[in-house]
Amino acid sequence: MSKFKGYISSRVFMGERVPQNIQNLCIRDFCKKNKFHYVLSSTEHAMENSFLVLKKLSNSLGKIDGIVMYSMFQLPSDRDLRLKIFNNFKKKKKKIFFALEDKELNMKSLELIEDIWDIKNVIDQNKPDLQYLKNEYQ
Amino acid sequence: MSDFFSKEENKFFKDYFKKGYSVFNVKNLDSLKYIKKGIQNIILNESNKLKKEKFDPFNNFHLHVNKKEINNFRLSIFRKLNNLKDIRFHYFKVASPFVEMINGNELVMQKNLNLSIQMPKDDESLLDIHADTWSGDSAYETVVWIPLVDCKDTKSMFILPANKYKKFNQILKKRNINDSKKLFEVLKKDLSWINIKYGQVLLFNQTLPHGNIINNTKETRFSLNCRFKSIFSPYGDKKIGEFFEPITLRPASKIGMNYKLPKIDN
Repeated sequence: MSKFKGYISSRVFMGERVPQNIQNLCIRDFCKKNKFHYVLSSTEHAMENSFLVLKKLSNSLGKIDGIVMYSMFQLPSDRDLRLKIFNNFKKKKKKIFFALEDKELNMKSLELIEDIWDIKNVIDQNKPDLQYLKNEYQ
Repeated sequence: MSDFFSKEENKFFKDYFKKGYSVFNVKNLDSLKYIKKGIQNIILNESNKLKKEKFDPFNNFHLHVNKKEINNFRLSIFRKLNNLKDIRFHYFKVASPFVEMINGNELVMQKNLNLSIQMPKDDESLLDIHADTWSGDSAYETVVWIPLVDCKDTKSMFILPANKYKKFNQILKKRNINDSKKLFEVLKKDLSWINIKYGQVLLFNQTLPHGNIINNTKETRFSLNCRFKSIFSPYGDKKIGEFFEPITLRPASKIGMNYKLPKIDN
């Protein structure tokens, strides 16, 4: 049975805040569904733009086959850093899964996942100013 | 209406705005057959009992599966259906000429197809009157509903036509309606029951109240549904990545999303 370690956030990511126990629940369910042995999650630091834990994981998984992140949007928003981390895992032959999106990050899915990131960024940048709309239609 | 659309398109839009739904004849029958055959194989492989029998596995499904078994069956078929190779591709091929007319041609598609099995007299698998937006769907989504059997009356679904929506809002405002059963009773006479055959596809505006009631016919309904929306239109609670995935992102959008103005070093 493949062994996977969970990876969760302790801060808001891409405008989402998910309680840590819910992130773990989702990861555990994903591991069960895929018949992975779940190894307790590591929690990323709360400081903005910190990926110290994620970077460390790419170098210290040992016999563990990879990580299951709660969501693909917990990856760094900086594309270069995102790809660097992915390449690091790949070099070490470790896998990355996203529980919420039910997806593996690999060479085949990379383009789709990058597209989703780009679309999410554009959508978030162009969110209507709700207060403005409220005033407009009152 | 825009002069940039053809007369036929403008005519269709007018009708769609009025009714809020449209039934089309499927053009890509090969993809439709692929979907139906795939589900038929799943059903027949589900148990030896079904495999041995020679019967229409869709319309006569209830003759071989009892009410107690239905939920496990549904879950199993749903899981296997969504694991079928290229199933979303074929679903899109069935839907594309019509959904592109309504939503445009840069689309996101729901990651899993939904399956509905409505056996005669089954009162545990009902979808009370609702609009998808009431539970967090974006108003920009369109539902593509594909029946695997002919459907009419209570074997089908109902929808409140768009031209009755204003009346519905007034009723909701004035009257004390606190449950969906009451709401159905009040709207009953205004609802349209979709008459649709296998080989046809229904597209509908899911902001309009719709649902089903107990199937009082002697046949089981098998239908699939899946949501599509324009990639860059606003999302509701069903987000990109977790619920939707882009399927037809075009070059100009890819270029635009990756463009950065050159940096000038003064």
